[in-house]
Amino acid sequence: MTLAPFVILLFAAFVGYAINLRAAQAIRADGVRLHSLESFHGLFSLLMVIVPVLTLVLIWLAVEGAVIDALLMASLPAGVLDGLGSGAIQLIGAEIRSIAGGRVFGTPDDWKLEAAERLIGYRQASSWLLIVVVTGVSAGIVYFARGRVASGFRARQRVERITLGLMIFCAVVAIFTTVGIVAALTYETFRFFQMVPVTEFLFGLNWEPQIPIREDQIAAEGAFGAVPVFLGTIVIATVALVVAVPVGLMTAIYLNEFAPHAFRKTVKPVLEILAGVPTVVYGFFAILVVAPALRQFGASVGLDVSGNTALAAGGVMGIMLIPFISSFADDALSAVPQSLRDGALALGATRGEMMLNVLFPAAIPGIVGGVLLAVSRAIGETMIVVMAAGLMARMTINPLDSVTAVTVQIVTLLIGDTAFDNPKTLAAFALGMMLFIATLVINIFALRIVRKYREIYD
Amino acid sequence: MYDAPHKDKDVTQNDIKISARDVQVFYGDTQAIKDVDVEIDDKTVTAFIGPSGCGKSTFLRCLNRMNDTIDICRIEGKISIDGEDIYDPSIDPVQLRAKVGMVFQKPNPFPKSIYENVAYGPKIHGMARNKAELDEIVENALKRAALWNEAKDRLDSPGTGLSGGQQQRLCIARAVATEPEVLLMDEPCSALDPIATAQVEELIDELRQTYSVVIVTHSMQQAARVSQKTAFFHLGNLVEFGDTEQIFTNPKDERTESYITGRIG
Amino acid sequence: MTDTTPSEGRQPRASAGEAVRNSLARRNRKQMVLQGFGIAAIVFAITMLLILLTSIIGNGYHAFTQTHVELDVFIDPEEIPEEGLPRGDYDDVLAVAMGTHFPDVDLSDRIATRELTSILSNGAQYILRDKVVADPSLIGQTISVKVPVSDPYDQLHKGLVERDTEEQFRRLDNDAIDRFDRLDDLDLVSKPLNTGLITQADSRFPELAGLKGALVGSFWALLTCFVISFPLGIGAAIYLEEFAPKNRWSDLIEININNLAAVPSVVFGLLALAVFIGWFGLPRSAPFVGGLTLALMTMPTIIIATRAALKAVPPSIREAALGVGASKNQVVFQHVLPLAMPGILTGTIIGLAQALGETAPLLLIGMNAFITSAASSPFDSATALPTQIFIWADSPERGFVSRTSAAIMVLLMFLITMNAIAIYLRSKFERKW
Repeated sequence: MTLAPFVILLFAAFVGYAINLRAAQAIRADGVRLHSLESFHGLFSLLMVIVPVLTLVLIWLAVEGAVIDALLMASLPAGVLDGLGSGAIQLIGAEIRSIAGGRVFGTPDDWKLEAAERLIGYRQASSWLLIVVVTGVSAGIVYFARGRVASGFRARQRVERITLGLMIFCAVVAIFTTVGIVAALTYETFRFFQMVPVTEFLFGLNWEPQIPIREDQIAAEGAFGAVPVFLGTIVIATVALVVAVPVGLMTAIYLNEFAPHAFRKTVKPVLEILAGVPTVVYGFFAILVVAPALRQFGASVGLDVSGNTALAAGGVMGIMLIPFISSFADDALSAVPQSLRDGALALGATRGEMMLNVLFPAAIPGIVGGVLLAVSRAIGETMIVVMAAGLMARMTINPLDSVTAVTVQIVTLLIGDTAFDNPKTLAAFALGMMLFIATLVINIFALRIVRKYREIYD
Repeated sequence: MYDAPHKDKDVTQNDIKISARDVQVFYGDTQAIKDVDVEIDDKTVTAFIGPSGCGKSTFLRCLNRMNDTIDICRIEGKISIDGEDIYDPSIDPVQLRAKVGMVFQKPNPFPKSIYENVAYGPKIHGMARNKAELDEIVENALKRAALWNEAKDRLDSPGTGLSGGQQQRLCIARAVATEPEVLLMDEPCSALDPIATAQVEELIDELRQTYSVVIVTHSMQQAARVSQKTAFFHLGNLVEFGDTEQIFTNPKDERTESYITGRIG
Repeated sequence: MTDTTPSEGRQPRASAGEAVRNSLARRNRKQMVLQGFGIAAIVFAITMLLILLTSIIGNGYHAFTQTHVELDVFIDPEEIPEEGLPRGDYDDVLAVAMGTHFPDVDLSDRIATRELTSILSNGAQYILRDKVVADPSLIGQTISVKVPVSDPYDQLHKGLVERDTEEQFRRLDNDAIDRFDRLDDLDLVSKPLNTGLITQADSRFPELAGLKGALVGSFWALLTCFVISFPLGIGAAIYLEEFAPKNRWSDLIEININNLAAVPSVVFGLLALAVFIGWFGLPRSAPFVGGLTLALMTMPTIIIATRAALKAVPPSIREAALGVGASKNQVVFQHVLPLAMPGILTGTIIGLAQALGETAPLLLIGMNAFITSAASSPFDSATALPTQIFIWADSPERGFVSRTSAAIMVLLMFLITMNAIAIYLRSKFERKW
């Protein structure tokens, strides 16, 4: 059913193309000179159908669900929703939907069964209506476009204007994505700060995002001081960088200057594999291999290492970042002009001295840019920490302790069914906002450094 | 001054500093240098001239083994400096390059201060025992490169901030500071304006007092102005080698004549 | 130029040769140390990669086989009446079949019976049920069925439960092992290829859990992602590279795209949750929403790759086409774009491979639900390969360790294939202008 409007749309578009093409060919056959090639007349009709009608269908499908829901809820018998919270109302909606989908659990009330019937009716009506509308509008446009075919009609210019508009739209989607991120985060964060003071979130030292399950519950008043969460992220990211930066830089130095050609050609792609492994795999690796190994090692030297240490999560994250840093550093070293290498060698520097005294200092800006991007990766990395780090927020900088991280909290707060009206859910958006701002600042800064650096030697 | 060689230049017979025998250079399968035999005198400026791609720069880079950095480059024959084969396995290129300095086509100061640029060679070779000695070496080198007066007040500013001509003289100072015995110059003036070129040429003439200087140039006038000996390369062959005056006034080979009169190049 | 004659100035200095000779060994040693560090770093990185791969493969290969028991089952019409299908006491029937091999077990003793049937997977009765429902004429007959054993016995048969561990630390007590060994001695136990890993959807029981749901979910999500991000990405890239005037706006879009490529994936999940699910009311857990989110993340990658590919087409092509009177549009769509296509496709495949491995945003939109059937459309609830890995990694049953590893192997296989295609495309169509 959902496919039908699209099929009609495509069909209409091709019919429009064919009709206009024929019409234009007929004009030409009469010996009249056309302004534009026949195919542009066809394309004009095709685009005139696809662009507006596709927009219509997509908007229809996007709003359909919400409109039908509103109609459904309004049609429920008076009184059944009285005194229910939004969560309970949502549950009823979900139950009716699942009945309509043919999944009946237990024996639901009659009014629910009726509502489900109505829901099916609404849905069918909506799809039929959409089909009728799409057919009508498409036919109208095809007729209109046919009317435009004439020897002087500037079909090519029209087609090119439409395609240009489409391309601008594509480019603007990228902007809209950012706008969407900012809008969503800002809106939900704002709502969060209406419930929890900003100062508590930014400076509070206690993070216990429980919410009362019943209205009258007193015990679990959540605490939303995010400092220990930020601290956890910093500890884990630091561990990751302590692993990744030296290993990555040394790798780059060796590959860039000392490695035989064949060695470099083999090792580089092998390291790229490390970068291509999905993070969920690293997460599993951390809990399957690294954490138990650290634990065992800790026990053997008499240290009590917790099961989900910052060390395991950060260490594995560091392994993931090695190729990231090494390829950035390698690029930066390669961008240093050959003349500087020659200059140093001609003075009688060993290759090691050339690398350490000349190339490396000259490449520092590019390397710093790469390291900053790695930092942004590390604090935004989610799956490794979700799987390998802890859930409890603690004020500690000991990497052997179990710590949590911003991304862990975002995921755990939002996993499962969520309603958008309690601070627990909204806290995730506030954390997301912090994460977005932090990574944005680092990214802009890093990209600028990298770009500046490229300009120096280009 | 134009294409007339310096008649007043004393072409005294000096000791042979560098001698090359049957040198062949290959890049992969292509041969860049064929059967080059040449003897370069001490305390003399020797110019390599020839059309571009004739192998003169390649041959120059063989003299301090800079070609070692190119993987596919292969050298046959024998090149010796002071009678010592520089391609002998026992010779460390680092040691060789400390003895045979090089100045490049494009000025290539390190992105460090002027002082650090000049002090770099002496530092890595451990030529100064303390800061005062290093200061003295730097000062002398800059003086020899005729840059001291311009640079003495800004030793800590970056070498990349100097003008092109100053940068090239800085590179010469940097090479001189390690006290080499031979100075190789690969078209040192090609990136410079005429005034800077004149300054560098004057400098080269002065450096001859102490060093054996080998200069690659595509400018015949420059070769005539600064050198006592000239070697003409063509298509990887050493066509003619002799006193500069003789090469420019009375070339023996037809190709040399064609080149210096502007018919090939 | 001041002093020029050596006689009145300094004596010609001695060469630095002496100093160089003295320090050379030390300096070369320093260089060796630097190289040593470099090699150590590379060895470290590669060792970690090897440990990762061997641990995954070492655990995962077990899941590609599954221990089965072959039983002769009498479909007792008393327990399974034909008119009551699909209802019936299939587990009792199985228990009786098991009991034939264990005459010493009293089948009226519920606890003893349960211990005995614990060898069989919980899903065994449903396998039997499906067989009978498909062919009701089996009722009253004795048929031979092969059913999977439950996880602990599967582990035992694969040697993952150490028999010489002390009984109290072992997951199976001695009696259980004896019973299983008796079946084994009777040659009823086999370990065929585990096709269920691909043909079955998720299950609470490791021996029944498969990847079908996740594969289908990932397919829908990736298809949605491709359908949306490919045209959008190419359109945006063509506009920015060929048409956009260079001004503040195009700069802003450029910076914006570079930034989007570096925004943490979990933030895209938040966007999807708030906008697609919260504001637009799209269904939770649906691969369509997942694909939409992944499309937004993949778009910057495609845009950047496409722009690079367009840049690589030399201006001479454009000039030649413009020179014969083609419009700017015709130049771009008829000449430049086809030449840039291999590069664009390579970038797209790499972007899709990244999207396939992406987990965090899918978690936030609920694609980690427990769903035991494969989605039939992109709007049904589903999991995806990486989220399935996450779910299984979180499950406590031992059997899920090897299932998780096996799922990772499947995921990596897809990624390797996609990247291999990209590399092939690049090398096949790479042009040197």
